[in-house]
Amino acid sequence: MTAEVVMELANVSRLYGQGEVTVYAMRNVSLRILSGEFVSIVGPSGSGKSTMLGLLGCLDVPTSGTITVCGKEITALGDAERTAVRGRTIGFVFQQFHLIPHLDAAGNVETALLYRGFKPAERRDRALAALQQVGLLPRADHRPVQLSGGEQQRVALARALVTEPRILLGDEPTGALDTKNAAMVMELFANLRSPERAVILVTHDPGVAAAADRKISMLDGEIVADEHRLIVL
Amino acid sequence: MSTFKDLLRVSLGGLLARKVRTVLLLLGPMIGVAAIIAAVGLTDSAKGDLKRKVTELGTNLVLVSAQSSVGRQNPTLPEDAADRASKVVTVEKVAAITQLSNIVVTPYERAKSQFETVPIPVVAVDSQLPNVLEVPLVSGRWINAFDESATTRAAVIGIGLAREFNYLPGEMRTIELNGIRYGVVGILDKVELEPAFDNAVFVAFQAAEQDFVDNDILPNKVYIRCKNGTETETAIALKTAVNLGGPQEVQTEIKAAALELAAQSDRQLQLIVVSMGLLAVIVGGLGIANVMSISVIQRSAEIGIRRALGHSRAIIGAQFMLESLVVGFLGGVMGVLLGIGAIFTGVKISGWVFVLASWLPPAGIVLAMLISVLAGVYPSARAARLEPLETLRLD
Repeated sequence: MTAEVVMELANVSRLYGQGEVTVYAMRNVSLRILSGEFVSIVGPSGSGKSTMLGLLGCLDVPTSGTITVCGKEITALGDAERTAVRGRTIGFVFQQFHLIPHLDAAGNVETALLYRGFKPAERRDRALAALQQVGLLPRADHRPVQLSGGEQQRVALARALVTEPRILLGDEPTGALDTKNAAMVMELFANLRSPERAVILVTHDPGVAAAADRKISMLDGEIVADEHRLIVL
Repeated sequence: MSTFKDLLRVSLGGLLARKVRTVLLLLGPMIGVAAIIAAVGLTDSAKGDLKRKVTELGTNLVLVSAQSSVGRQNPTLPEDAADRASKVVTVEKVAAITQLSNIVVTPYERAKSQFETVPIPVVAVDSQLPNVLEVPLVSGRWINAFDESATTRAAVIGIGLAREFNYLPGEMRTIELNGIRYGVVGILDKVELEPAFDNAVFVAFQAAEQDFVDNDILPNKVYIRCKNGTETETAIALKTAVNLGGPQEVQTEIKAAALELAAQSDRQLQLIVVSMGLLAVIVGGLGIANVMSISVIQRSAEIGIRRALGHSRAIIGAQFMLESLVVGFLGGVMGVLLGIGAIFTGVKISGWVFVLASWLPPAGIVLAMLISVLAGVYPSARAARLEPLETLRLD
């Protein structure tokens, strides 16, 4: 099976502000990410990582240039269509987990399946399956406050997975976790690679970056290095 | 449809997650609607027994009476006033009477001095009066055709007089009119539309002509039942029909009109309390708008993650709008129940008759929902406009 381009940035620039206070958060970046890749995007604060995350996640639109996600040029789409593409193709994991506090683990996972025409029972089945995948099935009825940080992040991971996204996008996914939990989450990420799916982690943690097969380094809004780790078969 | 079900589930979940806040939000519309329902219901119920009475008595009783603008004492109607009145096509039943004056009524001769001071009205009647008034006799019978043709000294007394004279149930005695002994043959029940009849003595025209008046007695009042809904037209037509261009002046009156007027609720009081209730609903709406706005800020992370998960702006806006709407609906329903409870309590304490217009409860709920929708517009729009990226990263 040949790898497919799931994400393509062509000459993308992102400016903030207007007139004299214009700041280039990202300058003329071009990038291709293929399915099956495990990519880390690294760089110090202010390097443009956040901007990159927003653009890769279809949460933001570039000032110039085009972004194509799974063959769809999302820069040409309106907010509603962009949102639909985002929901179908991208799964998010954030540093702060962002679980909805009044919902239990299964309910949080189900949130990703809302408004998609699923029957409640089917939604629940899928959510439980996703929780099983991250080893949290016994905790399905626990609320976020009853879960440890590592467990919360695994629920967030299940929520990202349940829609079977082509792209899994992590934003410092281990940033709020202790070493042991961080290692566990990283292992899950590594296992979630598949020929159909690309995993992208935005991080400033060299350890996390090292786990990836491809490391894209950013500085001052530009890509300064794009290194592929050789996979020894 | 499944999208709406999902939305409803999410919105209810959001409300249930913050129960105390939700209850506090409910209070505004609830109290407002309750105040409106109670205000209208209580003022209506206070007059409820009168309203019921109007319905019972019927509004189609018309009184034709003689009137004199030139100061003539004891004005009268033409002798055949009853016949003339019955010529009007809408008239169904007719009864003529004349109030006699200067007759001393005593239960028996020796009590004369005691009862002389209290004048008791004596009314000359025909055999149709109870039929037209639609009032039954408590006991005995009314003046009948035999009394009229044979000029018997038969009298019927009102229920008030029977009580005053201590009649036992079914007891029949004699009564003295100017010292002439009349046999009491019946007791007339309470006449709601003509309270003076309760203490009156009724005798046939023929007997009155024989015993108290030298010449023919002319009627001075004619009671008429007309077809329902034709009161006004009948009253107008009767003036001409009874008078027929003669010298007598004729006045007509729809008997239930005054009672109907009395049964009208105090509109001004109602308006004041309803305005206050409306104010409470609006203030409640402002409360919803306020708390929801704060809630949108508090839940910005939730909104952000939902947006990231693919929930559109429209869905997010609808979610908050629905939360507001549910608050309005529940507040309205609870307000209606509370209002009805208040009316029931008021009615029970005061002995009124429960009256509540059937359109009020749904109107109250709709009002609460309307206000809550208006209150939800700004917070919902704000939630929908929120940029997910800003709320999700803590750089």
